[in-house]
Amino acid sequence: MAPWVYIPQLLAAGITMGAVYALVALGFVTIVRASQIINFAQGEFVMLGGVVTFFFIKGAGLPYPLAALLAVISVVCIGFLLHLLVIYPLRKASVLILIMATVGASIVLSNTSALLFGTLPKALPPFSGDLPLKIGGIHITPQSLWVIGAAFFLFLILYLLSHRTLVGKAMEASSTDPLGADLTGISRNLMVFFAFGVSAGMGAIAGVLVTPLFYTSYNAGTLLGLKGFIAAVLGGWGKNSGAILGGFVLGIVESTSIAFIPSGYKDGVAFVILLLILYFRPKGILGSPYIDSRRW
Amino acid sequence: MVVENKNEFRKRDLVYTGGLWLISLILPDPHLPYRREFIKKRDFFYLGTLLLLPLILSDPLVYLMVLAGIYAILALGLSLFLGYAGQISLGHAAFFGIGAYTTAILTTRYGVPTVGAFWASALVAAAFAYLIGKPILKLKGYFLALATLGFGEIFLVIVRESRSLTGGVSGIFGIPWFSVAGFTFDTYLKQYYLIWGVLIGLVLFAKNLVRSKMGRALLAVAASEDAASSVGINVAQVKVRVFVISAAFAGLAGSLFASVISTANPEGFSLGLSVLIVMMVIMGGMGNLYGPIFAAIFLTWLTDMLGGYQEYSLPIYGVILILLLIFFPDGVGTRLNARLIYLISYWGRKRRRERVDL
Amino acid sequence: MTSLLAIDKISKSYDGVRALNRISLRVRKGTIKGLIGPNGAGKTTLFHLITGVERPSSGTISFHGKDITSLEPHEIALLGVGRTFQTLQVLGNMTVVENILTGMHTRLKGGFLSSGLWLPWIHKGEKGALQEAKEVLEFLGLLGRWKWLAFQLSFGQQKMLELGRALAMKPKLLLLDEPAAGLTPAEVKRLAEKICRLRDQGITILIVEHHMGMIMDIADEVAVLHNGELIAEGPPDAVKNDPHVIEAYLQGRGVDA
Repeated sequence: MAPWVYIPQLLAAGITMGAVYALVALGFVTIVRASQIINFAQGEFVMLGGVVTFFFIKGAGLPYPLAALLAVISVVCIGFLLHLLVIYPLRKASVLILIMATVGASIVLSNTSALLFGTLPKALPPFSGDLPLKIGGIHITPQSLWVIGAAFFLFLILYLLSHRTLVGKAMEASSTDPLGADLTGISRNLMVFFAFGVSAGMGAIAGVLVTPLFYTSYNAGTLLGLKGFIAAVLGGWGKNSGAILGGFVLGIVESTSIAFIPSGYKDGVAFVILLLILYFRPKGILGSPYIDSRRW
Repeated sequence: MVVENKNEFRKRDLVYTGGLWLISLILPDPHLPYRREFIKKRDFFYLGTLLLLPLILSDPLVYLMVLAGIYAILALGLSLFLGYAGQISLGHAAFFGIGAYTTAILTTRYGVPTVGAFWASALVAAAFAYLIGKPILKLKGYFLALATLGFGEIFLVIVRESRSLTGGVSGIFGIPWFSVAGFTFDTYLKQYYLIWGVLIGLVLFAKNLVRSKMGRALLAVAASEDAASSVGINVAQVKVRVFVISAAFAGLAGSLFASVISTANPEGFSLGLSVLIVMMVIMGGMGNLYGPIFAAIFLTWLTDMLGGYQEYSLPIYGVILILLLIFFPDGVGTRLNARLIYLISYWGRKRRRERVDL
Repeated sequence: MTSLLAIDKISKSYDGVRALNRISLRVRKGTIKGLIGPNGAGKTTLFHLITGVERPSSGTISFHGKDITSLEPHEIALLGVGRTFQTLQVLGNMTVVENILTGMHTRLKGGFLSSGLWLPWIHKGEKGALQEAKEVLEFLGLLGRWKWLAFQLSFGQQKMLELGRALAMKPKLLLLDEPAAGLTPAEVKRLAEKICRLRDQGITILIVEHHMGMIMDIADEVAVLHNGELIAEGPPDAVKNDPHVIEAYLQGRGVDA
């Protein structure tokens, strides 16, 4: 059968995956908007969302919604801790050191998770049953719809946060003009602190939503984090809308590529896209306020 | 009273000076030419220790030093790119792997003698670095880090998938020992001398490089690309060339690695290794050649020691990484030396203050 | 009347903002030309265009008769154009003498491989270079600190060091971007002396400066930029009293020398 036949189904899978990448990308962008730091541990927040929820259900016997809520709260706390213990002490360090520190954090988080919760993959029950819906010949599970919906919902929340609330505007200000923000009494460190919490929370929510679809285990975070980052760059670095767009584009391209190349190479597709984007259009699809292509 | 102060002053500073002198005997300097000569007395101390070390160490420890030597070659190469030229690469494990696989394929499938495969590995790694470097090195900071990381991941994916070429996930077995003119390096002891011998040769090369105008060009690129190009340094070309050289070092290390453990498989060339090598350079100090070598020994020993506590090892490793970065952002060697300079000048200032009081 | 540097109808726009508008300038060989103007007039932009860091939107720049408009910065440096930076770009990770030696990059032979193998000509080159670098440091008054790390010098000394780095290139044309900024009056005087000595040695110099006193003292000719336009050009006395210049700079009050 010609590969073309599979495309609609692959598209659906791609959109689902894309929503996941979009969520992870939003997490990256939130922190970058506050502090220009790229948090390599972002993927770990997603992983922990799923793993900790699983732990609360199986280990503590809590009901599903409560477990999920507690898990998200715990991961937000972990995000705050990450800022306090790692980012804040290094606030004056060079780019390289910060990169290595977040990489270190990513190692600590993923392996502590392996330590505490074991290395076996965890699965969670889907929210509304696992009977796939049939839409025009394609099978979509309800969970996928949840994930896609959540991506847009969170995007909306972030939009409202940064445009309508004082805290959100303060975060915007401190990233666009740190000195000015400082002078008007906005504590940059506090903004970054919040940003870590917010993006950890978003990551955790993504994790809870996604684990019913795919298994999650201690080392799933790294690859997911990388792809989320690639999605953010692809769509337009530093823009929430870029994160969403990039996520979906990456998900779709990656998914449909299986029709044309051996499936083992699928993970490589994201990185090839990264290299292509960085080389040809580092600003990303929607353009980026942070990248000056003149001096690139 | 003034006389008492003088005595007190002398005692304390004697301790300081004595301690500093002892430490300075052992620790490497940051790169400061025209303060010292090319070969210092300390270098002979290092050389002597290296030569005699395997005689006092037990066999497993000699093996550890063999591995440390291989990682030291990796770290040395990367230190030219990262420590001197100030560019980030999170994908150097890929060049290591390219070197290992080149040797593996050439020796097991085409019967190429290991010496030939050794040099071929360097060339192949250098060639890849050239192809990748030209477009990628236009990037800076985070984006360069991610592009190199991307390259590293692509390498792994390709290696895992091309079963016919690389043996896929299981890899290639039965790589012969390194041998030259009939002499085979088949014991840990012989391998130790081989690898550290190669390292010494590469160190001499690197020292020369760093002392010359190209070494200054590297540091200039790290300090200010605008200033560097204003004095005629072709920044893009320098970046690509030092990238190629560091990749060649990694390729050599990979070839030796393949000969020592006789297998090549993707597990050994992951992002974790790239991160480890970067840590070695950072810990050793930017602008330092010996520092990363010491750091390589230390970190190899550390990962081996932690390996005993299997489950706890990795999180602890990550925590140690973070702590090292927080407390020694410029590398251990550099920090201690900066303290040395401070203490010496402190002593000098005290002296002058004494005279003024009189 | 040979002009070493010829700037012809150079314009530069950034996203619709016109930074420079059809500027034409000539710098005669062996002279000191001052380039003054209020902040934002486009002076540093012009420097960036001359040295190849940026490309003009239109117009040409020639050096020694050769069109350098689209050359890369390092190629222009190779032709003999040296510069200093408004934001001091001293190579802080190296020693003082190494900063000077870096300036001699184009005059030394050797590449990566030959340096690593320390081939004989590399050795000879390094020895001669060290000697010459010390001479430059002596000219600048920094010889005593040749082994210090560059970041240990005082601000004024670092500015001298950057000048020395440019001098080490043995440039034909020297572009100085606000060399007197942040210097004490005594240091400014010393700087002015040195610049005059350089001119006497045959180096052509183009200086961007705010320090009126120094420029009016040492410049053979002064050009005034304002809002991207060239509003006056000529000997210092003529420019000093030019009504357009006075208006642009000080809104009617006399020029403070």
